Amino acid sequence: MDNKTGMSPFEAAFHASAERHERFWIFGVLVMLVLLTIGTMFYVVHDYGLVTGTHSYAADPQAPAREAAFQDGKVVRTGPNSYAVYMVGRAWHWAPDVIHVPEGAEITFYVTSADVLHGFEIQGTPVNLTAVPGVVGTVKYTFRHAGLFRIICNEYCGMFHHAMVARIIVDPAGTP
Amino acid sequence: MSMEITADTLPSALARSDSDRAAASMHRLMLAFLITGFSALLIGATIGPLQALNYGGVDAYPALRPLLQSYYQGLTIHGVMNGYVFTFFITCGLLVYLPARELGVAPNLVMWRTCFAIMAVGALCVLYAMADNSSSVLWTFYPPLKGSPFFYIGITLLALGSTMPLPILLEMRATWRRHRPGEITPLVTYMSLTTMLMWGLAGVGVMAELVLQLDPWSLGLIGTVDPIINRTLFWLTGHPIVYFWLMPAYVSWYGLLSRQVGGKLISDPMARITFALLMIFALPVGTHHQFSDPGFSSIWRGILVVLTMSVATPSLVTAFTIGLSLEYAGRLRGGQGWFGWFRALPWGDPSVAAQLLAAITFILGGATGIVNGSWQLNAIVHNTTFIPGHFHVTVGSVTAMTLMAISFWMVPHLTGRQLISRRLALFSVWTWFVGMTIFAIGMTWAGLYGVPRRAWVSALPHDTYHALYGAASVPLALVAAGGVLLWVASYAFFAVFFGSILFGRRAAPPPVPFAQSFGGPASSTIDSPPNPAQSASPLIRALDHVWLLTGITVLATLAAYIPILWPFLHHVTRAPGWILW
Repeated sequence: MDNKTGMSPFEAAFHASAERHERFWIFGVLVMLVLLTIGTMFYVVHDYGLVTGTHSYAADPQAPAREAAFQDGKVVRTGPNSYAVYMVGRAWHWAPDVIHVPEGAEITFYVTSADVLHGFEIQGTPVNLTAVPGVVGTVKYTFRHAGLFRIICNEYCGMFHHAMVARIIVDPAGTP
Repeated sequence: MSMEITADTLPSALARSDSDRAAASMHRLMLAFLITGFSALLIGATIGPLQALNYGGVDAYPALRPLLQSYYQGLTIHGVMNGYVFTFFITCGLLVYLPARELGVAPNLVMWRTCFAIMAVGALCVLYAMADNSSSVLWTFYPPLKGSPFFYIGITLLALGSTMPLPILLEMRATWRRHRPGEITPLVTYMSLTTMLMWGLAGVGVMAELVLQLDPWSLGLIGTVDPIINRTLFWLTGHPIVYFWLMPAYVSWYGLLSRQVGGKLISDPMARITFALLMIFALPVGTHHQFSDPGFSSIWRGILVVLTMSVATPSLVTAFTIGLSLEYAGRLRGGQGWFGWFRALPWGDPSVAAQLLAAITFILGGATGIVNGSWQLNAIVHNTTFIPGHFHVTVGSVTAMTLMAISFWMVPHLTGRQLISRRLALFSVWTWFVGMTIFAIGMTWAGLYGVPRRAWVSALPHDTYHALYGAASVPLALVAAGGVLLWVASYAFFAVFFGSILFGRRAAPPPVPFAQSFGGPASSTIDSPPNPAQSASPLIRALDHVWLLTGITVLATLAAYIPILWPFLHHVTRAPGWILW
């Protein structure tokens, strides 16, 4: 025993080695986290389309769903290769429940809810947006492949939450 | 009786002997916290595997109809009992009892009993509201889904009671410091205090949600609530609750585990830095649970990513400090080479095995947590089974297994009865480890196929289930298999826990296994020799000013939340309630 520190030689040696390695570890951890943060931020900035946006707020939770765009439930052409889709979640269905969009076009989804929270998830894509009563949220996405995609509700909304499924049919580019 | 004893005479009496009457009251109360907590887990864990089977395509709920009306009712009970009642009771017992023993100072028993009573009334209210299917709103209870007043008032009481250890701890620490001026707070007390300070601050969010909105709304005093404001207030508390689950496990890893494996804690300062960082970072980052919600500016989302990544620092420091402390013990025990020290640890001790296995699962838990915090990756996994997959290898393994580990020494310590079977205890923790790992791999994997969390998928028509989730059949089968293993594991544990309390053989109670740190004192009780050699660094002395840490945390939280809540407060939505189950 070393009388000054009360440590055995093995303990003292282990302690000294530990303190040295500790600094390396913390440095390594910080570098790793900085790189991870830069990585995820770069991806967001580089591919900015998938950021959840806010279109409007309303004091009446039903008001957005009563707007003409949401009532019609159509796919609206907004540019040469861009479309807007207005989607309302209600317990327990999405309206409209089937839509056609062209492959390769930029689609802006406007999503709201007419009752409780719903989760607008397009299976197989990163499109994931909370449908909030009184708030219209937006997200942009471009389907690169034709085929059938399903919209699933991923925020609990009651007894038939699991059955709240709609379809997006992505038509191959060039079809009228 | 205990009320007659003053704070000045009791400490030395308590430090001397376990047979003291106040110590006996303390033991009984701690045991009550432990039994109530694990009874809640018994209810929650009994329902859990039904949910795992649901994802495997097996719908057990029609057979349980008189008891449970739906998957969603079962899921509400599972989340509330495991996430709130189980963890709150054990933590509120532990974070008073351990510091009391470390300091040799008696806690204020009246306040501690009040803490128990308030939470018990709250738990009974919530249980009643969930049992009659009036409040199948899940543990996150997002409005405008509307449960019964019993549910919200019960949660209010649980949250209120769970902050009561804070004044008890402050009082004990003040008593200890009066007798030992100039010394820094002993480690276990420091860790417990920062945990409770963090939780006391964090509780403001959900208390505001409940007291200002959901309680009066459910009682019919106000007609409407704002969904997004309440969701934001919920996550103001809902993210720090993750640390309220994790930090008590860290208290055991830093404060006890090194002794249990026969070694020492290699760094007392690192433990303090970890807890201070957890306290500061836990609060401002709650809205990273809302990356998919409208209403947040992209700038804020970016800042949140940076803050969220920072939260990983204290946990990665913990991995190092605990890992090296274990290596020290393993080498003392004769372990050689790269991994020999790990095998040389006392794996035959179920309390040690449970904590080591819990730490291993945290590798997956931490890695998936970094995915969740990564914004774009979050868009892929948000509200899929990836999320419960992640938190079952944090709270479901790190917290649950560490609390089980604590019970393995604490039941003998409190009752003077041995475990009825060390082998059954080992079986339960190994099965829990294997089951939870399989379950979590299945859940995270299925999440990548877009399988939503919290969905009664087994109630879908067979062909719909296959069209939607057939691609994920292998991971979903793993989920079901893991769930069944967890059922076996939890019942093996409950047999050991309740069996030992009732029928364990009488033996001399073991002491609390407080770890000694390198260069630290053997004991920190109020009547132990003064510790002048304790030449703490300026940083550690600064961290001992817990009110400074509290101030920093409050400022960081205000800076994060005022810009977030500002637009919401200017665009209030008046949403009526819905009962949809």
